[in-house]
Amino acid sequence: MRRGAIVRLVTLGVVLGLGATALAIFIPWLPEASSDQAEEIDFVFWFTTAICIGIFSVVAAIAIYSVMKFRVPLDDEEDGLPIHGHTGIEIVWTAVPFLLVTAIGVVSAVALARNDRLPADHMVVNVLGRQFAWQFMYPPDNAPAPPKDELECDQQAVKSRCLTSTQLHLPLDVPVELRMRADDVIHSFWVPQFRQKQDMLPDQVTKLIITPTKVGKYEVLCTELCGLGHSVMRSAAIVSSRADFDRWKREAGKQNAPGGGANAGEAVFSQNGCGSCHTLKAAGATGTVGPDLDKLSDEAQKAGKPVEAFVRESVVNPGAYVQPGFPNNVMPKTYASLPKQQLDALVQYLVQSSQGGSSR
Amino acid sequence: MTQVQTEHAPHIEYAAPPPRTGWRRWAFGPGWPRAVWMTPLFYFIGAGIVVFFRWIAGYEPLWDWEPITVVGALTSAPLGFLAGLGAFDYWLYYLSGKPTRPEDHSGHGARTWTDYFRVNTDHKVIGIQYVTTTIFFFLAGGLMAMLVRAELAQPGMQFTDTQTYNQLFSVHASLMIFLFVIPAFAGLANFVLPLMIGAPDMAFPRLNALSYWLLPIAGIMMLSSFAVPGFGAGWTNYVPLAESQPWGNVFFSMAVQWAGASSIMTALNFLVTIITMRAPGMTFWRMPLLVWANFTTSLLVVLATPFIAGSQFFVMFDRVLHTNFFNVAGGGYPLGYQHIFWFYSHPAVYIMILPGFGIISEVISTFSRKPIFGYRLMALSLVAILILGFSVWAHHMFVSGMAPWLRVPMMITTLLIAVPTGIKVFSWLATTWEGRIHLRAPMLWALGFLTMFVIGGLSGIFLGAVPIDIHASDSYFIVAHIHYVLLGGSLFTIFAGIYYWFPKMTGRMYDERLAKVHFWITFIAFNITFFPMHIIGLQGAPRRYADLGEKYGDWNLVISIASFFLGASFILFVYNMVVSWTRGPIAEANPWRGRTLEWQVSSPPPIFNFDEIPQVVGNPYEYGVPGARHAVLNGDRAAEPERVPAE
Repeated sequence: MRRGAIVRLVTLGVVLGLGATALAIFIPWLPEASSDQAEEIDFVFWFTTAICIGIFSVVAAIAIYSVMKFRVPLDDEEDGLPIHGHTGIEIVWTAVPFLLVTAIGVVSAVALARNDRLPADHMVVNVLGRQFAWQFMYPPDNAPAPPKDELECDQQAVKSRCLTSTQLHLPLDVPVELRMRADDVIHSFWVPQFRQKQDMLPDQVTKLIITPTKVGKYEVLCTELCGLGHSVMRSAAIVSSRADFDRWKREAGKQNAPGGGANAGEAVFSQNGCGSCHTLKAAGATGTVGPDLDKLSDEAQKAGKPVEAFVRESVVNPGAYVQPGFPNNVMPKTYASLPKQQLDALVQYLVQSSQGGSSR
Repeated sequence: MTQVQTEHAPHIEYAAPPPRTGWRRWAFGPGWPRAVWMTPLFYFIGAGIVVFFRWIAGYEPLWDWEPITVVGALTSAPLGFLAGLGAFDYWLYYLSGKPTRPEDHSGHGARTWTDYFRVNTDHKVIGIQYVTTTIFFFLAGGLMAMLVRAELAQPGMQFTDTQTYNQLFSVHASLMIFLFVIPAFAGLANFVLPLMIGAPDMAFPRLNALSYWLLPIAGIMMLSSFAVPGFGAGWTNYVPLAESQPWGNVFFSMAVQWAGASSIMTALNFLVTIITMRAPGMTFWRMPLLVWANFTTSLLVVLATPFIAGSQFFVMFDRVLHTNFFNVAGGGYPLGYQHIFWFYSHPAVYIMILPGFGIISEVISTFSRKPIFGYRLMALSLVAILILGFSVWAHHMFVSGMAPWLRVPMMITTLLIAVPTGIKVFSWLATTWEGRIHLRAPMLWALGFLTMFVIGGLSGIFLGAVPIDIHASDSYFIVAHIHYVLLGGSLFTIFAGIYYWFPKMTGRMYDERLAKVHFWITFIAFNITFFPMHIIGLQGAPRRYADLGEKYGDWNLVISIASFFLGASFILFVYNMVVSWTRGPIAEANPWRGRTLEWQVSSPPPIFNFDEIPQVVGNPYEYGVPGARHAVLNGDRAAEPERVPAE
């Protein structure tokens, strides 16, 4: 190969490489890293990116150079040089990619091992995913270890002492182990800023380790198709200082305590994530996956039932009456297992809110 | 070199189709009229069997439409349709002891356009049937993609409700995979492969005809799932969501069975054809790389496809027969579904790209006027991908909750598969080096494939690395990746193949300028559509969301507009094909001066391909080697001394 060709080829490759590097640097590819684990993952990401930019530049440079240099008019009748191969070059382009992917593999395995490490002084949060809502539960410090495939807060003895929230509150710099389970179909927990993601299964408990490093509010997303409301299955992860987190926990604990009347019903409504699918003015909920709960009394009339019985039946057995225009089998049947006290409160709350418009 | 002498039965006369007279022949002879009455007849037989057994067993309700539909509409009615068209006639005659006529070639070859709508045993007719049918489903699937992009162009829901949205992307993917990419490759190879190895047809022409006719059945089943309504669990159809879907889901489960049966039968046919019907002198190391590619692909199909058939049967049995394969309440194991599914569906991505690799090897060699660089390593890398392809399935499951120790071994095999793929890419580049490149449309598509597939391959390395995958899986980064490998990859190779063999298939030339305009619009619109998806995916946009919200509003608008240009570019393609096929200039036998056997016969080829079985004497890509020949045809064997070119 002539020297001039090599110089031009290398120049082309460098220009393409610089272009790709500029794209890599100036486009905000990744959201701000907000956990220890994200730092590890980002290192693997940029390590791989550097190698890939190199490979892309070589391929694109040769392709472009070949077309520009060796193109002939369509009526050209000659053939090219009969080169059948070159063992040396073939060994090189087998060995070099092998070494590069091995390097990526090693760096990845190291990062994975470090991210899977759980320090002894960690906190445990239970996560429950159901169509189409998140529930985060904080077991008490002295909660006994649950049986396999169950969460701490699944145990009857612990359940009532678990603090329940629809948003994930986390203290800064404290490693947290999310122990997760789904109620119905497979869901997946993802906070892009934490980089961590894990599917949640109905028949086993999966785990995810996160050590938040920046105060802020981040979106929690479901990333495994879970049905009609998949794209509304979102919540928030709120990272605050230890003091702020403890204050939140104390106040939330008071609200969580079993009380009576409509207030308790409102708590049940929000903790179970009803608002992600249903509209209810009184609760400030605007979901559109399921029927509008402000029009409950109209639907009860159409179903030919007293409002209260209708509401109770629709919560416990959603398939009994399906409002026209909404498909069956969307609403989970799991609300039948709500404790009677909570169910009563919820029904009271729904009946009052829908009849009074706003009963607060 | 060993000389293989094959005794070729002489085809004496092939009779014209027997004259159709009398209403009996019309109604009871093989053909559409018989299919029209046999399809409903078989539906009622199937439905009757279900109702009869439910009545015997005392099941309530007697008229349960789910099993009636599965057995009557999705199983026995299609069998009635096939029987009506005449797909089983020969075998049934044979079974019942009636005289069969092995030398009756009335169902072979196309004399008029109506012959394309019959059970035809000519591999060339079947190839064209395949390609046109798959393009129809490609357009249908593309239209669904347009509707998806229309919905996503603005934040909020505008055109569809979420059920319709889920169905649109699910059926889009299913059609593109099972009714377009896989069978389009099978169709191109059906036409070209027997010609390339010097065979008069496929090994089992009647089986070949049957495998084609299963396709429209599968496609219509997928499309009609909209009417039920239906199937919105994604083409992956993960349980338990699949089992709580409306029962249109069974349409998907059964359509996969029909399409899968078609794939398996075609693959068996290819394997037997390649092994037993190569022309004398065509050793494995003299086969064109397209033949190698289809050999390895067929092995993948035969070994892997039964797994997706199983996975979908289990899902359907859980619904219809109330089994508990994946039903948690009955002790089922949902993750087991994913393992079985991906044990097929990872090899399936190689089923969807290896034949494309074969096409690209043909095109790049011909239009660079150079031998393939490192032919043997090119063939061996196909075999390496075949073997490694079976050991990487769990990289689709890094975040699924499977056993954590499985992640690192699967990452290593996944990353290693980049090595044989890299060998292929570098060998193609080296093939263009010092060549004399004719930048015709097929070559444009091949070069477009080369660059786009490299981008898709590199994003595959990101996803193969477990830590990055944990962040990027199930995000738009995945959507970008699959479209770079399946659209920028497989689709570009299919277009390269269609333009490359268009003169051979139709006997006419396509419009070169229109083909180039088609390429450039597709290439540019494709990149504007899918490259930004890498960015929004990594920033945190999950896939399969009916509404991505304000955050990605600007990007989504750009992507949607570009995607409409992408969709519109295929109108140019269809126009070019239709007009060129009917009015294009007559093609020469060998317009590209290709050296493989299909170019040594007329365009379109004679009905039994070769007047005399050719004698292969050398390698297929000896461009620029003085005096080298691939094969000797038509009795001039004695005149030509055999020359073995220097390696």
